[in-house]
Amino acid sequence: MLDIETTVRGVLRDVLGLSDERVAAFDETTPLFGALPELDSLAVAGVLTEIEDRLGILIEDDEVDGEMLESFGTLTRFAAQKVLG
Amino acid sequence: MIEPYDWAGGREAMVRFGPGSGPVVIAALPLFEEANRMRGFAATILRLLAENHRIAGVLPELPGTGESLIPSERIAISDLRAGFAAAARTAGGRAYSMALRSGALLDGSVVIRRRWHFAPQPGDALLRMLRRIHRTGDAPGYGGHRLPDTFLDELPDCHVEPARTLRLEGDTRPADRLVPGRALWRGPTPDNDLDLATLLADDLAAWVRMCEA
Repeated sequence: MLDIETTVRGVLRDVLGLSDERVAAFDETTPLFGALPELDSLAVAGVLTEIEDRLGILIEDDEVDGEMLESFGTLTRFAAQKVLG
Repeated sequence: MIEPYDWAGGREAMVRFGPGSGPVVIAALPLFEEANRMRGFAATILRLLAENHRIAGVLPELPGTGESLIPSERIAISDLRAGFAAAARTAGGRAYSMALRSGALLDGSVVIRRRWHFAPQPGDALLRMLRRIHRTGDAPGYGGHRLPDTFLDELPDCHVEPARTLRLEGDTRPADRLVPGRALWRGPTPDNDLDLATLLADDLAAWVRMCEA
């Protein structure tokens, strides 16, 4: 789970162009979609595809909703569930 | 130095770095928007290869990409691969590929002695990304590129040939080496990373020397 969290943190840093310090401060409750101006629809596409690539998972369109992208915690849990099946 | 190269469908340009003899590294940029983000980085790697290791490099424009006069509406995997092989033949010497991301779909030619890939992206993953971008509707076509259905239909069957493979730390897929750095192909704006470029150029040079031995 820690590795997955590190990967998701790295993806958000790279896609959104955030500093190491800023993403290091992300915790479970850090809000994402709607709270980070960098996270527009194009960036969401980049985040999802990069998470797929790095974790070797597939994310279907109908799995993507506001709840999944609500916070760093919900996105990390979603990714972990996909990896662990 | 900019030179032309000819392929079956016409003439394209390539930029040459380093000495005029010995092994030569042919660079394959990622396709579409990622190419804009990675072009400067690829050129930096080739420049470091030339200056620090005396190994030649070539960065070709491929048919239907970059500055090519062929519009993206006519892009075809077979033409991209033919263009890459023609650039390798024109470059002379013993050719090795350096493919970044989806550039790894293009270096299957027998002209290439061995392959070196950084964060290779298979065809099905590229197609998923293109479709996601298309659905956002931010730009016409696929992120501003109008692409033929035949090209999109081909992508799921486009695989990556065996290669020495480097990936970023945090990537869980098989790799020969994991390296620290950011995914420049995903950044909000084009960027460069001299530390990562130096590390990759050193790895490439050692690998080419080993292949040549």
